[in-house]
Amino acid sequence: MMQRRRLALFATLVAGTAMAQGVSVSTTTIAQNWKNQTPGFSSTTYTPATEFVGIDATGLDAKGALSLHIYGWGMVDLSDQSYVGGKHTGDFSSGFLQYDFGQANAQLKAGRFTVTQGVGNEQVDGISFRTDLVHDLTVSGFAGVPVVFHNYGSDDQGVLSTQRNFMYGGRLAWRPAPFGEIGVDYLQDGTSPGTQAAPTASSAVYTRRLTGVDLKLAPCAFVDFTGRTVFDVAPKTAPTPTSTVDWVAEHDYTATVKLHEKLSVSGTFVERHFFAYYAGSTLTNLFNQNEQGAFKATGAKATWLPIAGLQVVGDVRRTNRDAFGSTTRAGGDLRWTFAEAHVLAGAGYHQVNAFSVLALDPSTPAYGLSHSEERVWAMAERGALSASLDAIRFHYTDGDANPNLHGKSTETAVVGSLGYKAKSGLKVSGDLTLEDTPAFGRQTLALARVEYRFDLGRKGDK
Amino acid sequence: MFKKIALLAITLGLGLMSGCAIISPKASSAPTHPQALEQGRPTCSECHGTERVASTQKTFASFDHTQAFVSNHKFQANQDPGTCAACHAESFCADCHGGKTALLPSAKLGNRPDRESPHRGDYLTLHRIDGKIDPTSCFKCHGRSNNEKCSACHK
Repeated sequence: MMQRRRLALFATLVAGTAMAQGVSVSTTTIAQNWKNQTPGFSSTTYTPATEFVGIDATGLDAKGALSLHIYGWGMVDLSDQSYVGGKHTGDFSSGFLQYDFGQANAQLKAGRFTVTQGVGNEQVDGISFRTDLVHDLTVSGFAGVPVVFHNYGSDDQGVLSTQRNFMYGGRLAWRPAPFGEIGVDYLQDGTSPGTQAAPTASSAVYTRRLTGVDLKLAPCAFVDFTGRTVFDVAPKTAPTPTSTVDWVAEHDYTATVKLHEKLSVSGTFVERHFFAYYAGSTLTNLFNQNEQGAFKATGAKATWLPIAGLQVVGDVRRTNRDAFGSTTRAGGDLRWTFAEAHVLAGAGYHQVNAFSVLALDPSTPAYGLSHSEERVWAMAERGALSASLDAIRFHYTDGDANPNLHGKSTETAVVGSLGYKAKSGLKVSGDLTLEDTPAFGRQTLALARVEYRFDLGRKGDK
Repeated sequence: MFKKIALLAITLGLGLMSGCAIISPKASSAPTHPQALEQGRPTCSECHGTERVASTQKTFASFDHTQAFVSNHKFQANQDPGTCAACHAESFCADCHGGKTALLPSAKLGNRPDRESPHRGDYLTLHRIDGKIDPTSCFKCHGRSNNEKCSACHK
């Protein structure tokens, strides 16, 4: 029944493009091939073929304010099963009508879309609106049925209480020029009156309720302070009268100062409390609300633009997970854009020192998590031809003690790609990946890609 | 019954009128960037200097696609997705943030090493380390969706 409804909705939306003044269709077909020959397992060959389709139709009404946007993909395995859940799958990612008003940046959406609003990052079948108000205020809201992703076996669907039936949210913000923006928002997912009973939360039936405060202070071009605090405001009961439960899910703030036209520095602070942050998880054994404590991170980053097109970044980040320990990640990246020659290139090196991080399972021998990451990449275009190369290498310091490395302390992957633009809107490319990894040893992966885009502009033929 | 309907109509009418009165009279910004941009990450302030984006009143410099901006792009997307939409279609976001993704972003975009696709190389080995150091970074994408593959092992 659900499939039929989706098909009917899809057909109706596609039929709507017939009225459009301009239609843009983009498709990407990707065929992959690789073999797995892991010792101890039977050899498998994978050949998945995936088709991505996007349709954007504008000017569905006389004013040109109504538009339609559709995006989705389908995949079929031509040999062994590569995807969890079956040899064919797909997703109707988005399909919505959008109306853009000529005043107040007002906008209406209806259909399936992704909400990125305050604390919300949700995919819903529903409606949304936004508009600017007088006195530098802006307001947005949405309501609908949350799109449910069946991450469990189909037999378990009936008892998966984390799936909700109705979701809504809203955000009100104030943008006083020239200071920036401060917003408050609320999201509710579900209608059950249930309560989170710490320390066993997500598996219980309850309604996810989040509220947040976000801000961006950018009074001038050389100062920027951005961040947010998120609260899990769903009712909770503490396990004992003297114990406490977390209401704060997240603090996440970044301050950036442009010291010079070519030099900027930024500092970050992150704190996430597991009980509140993992509220609503559908994978509770992995994202465990009952882990005591919090994750904290502080970091700094410097970005230097010595010459036009060249960006040099140095960064350091210190993290701490209460129950596990501390790590430090430091390194740098180079990024070079030579637009005239259609060349982009980059390189990076990072070292992660994680000697004090404990093993998850106390019964297994502890091992260090320190490692380094090196990466070099380049891409170029000349006429109809394009090429790219991307090489990445990890070196694990505690290669002997870490049982997942199978005695291999280095991992390498090199991806080479060649492309040819056969004509405007049609491009074919092929990628070849050579990997030498602890999990799979040496393997070669091939990928062929066809990208096709055509536009039907019918402006003026009302 | 009639009185109730009349009362409801009057309330709705008043609400609508007051609603219209508080809506900003300013014209909307252009929904898409008027010129095609050069290859690579744009530095908006190169052309716009110290101007402010009319729709958000923020400086163009705060939209410069530096490494720091790319790392924290969620803030911009959550405050004002309309500015993102001036250049990016929703499918651009779905390359990495789809509720259900077809294949690794780094595989789909294997010919675009300039994109910051997560999970490059064989991430199977590294995810055991990243997951211990900071599982909250996994939660953003895999906590409530796009975790079919995770649940195959993490039952």
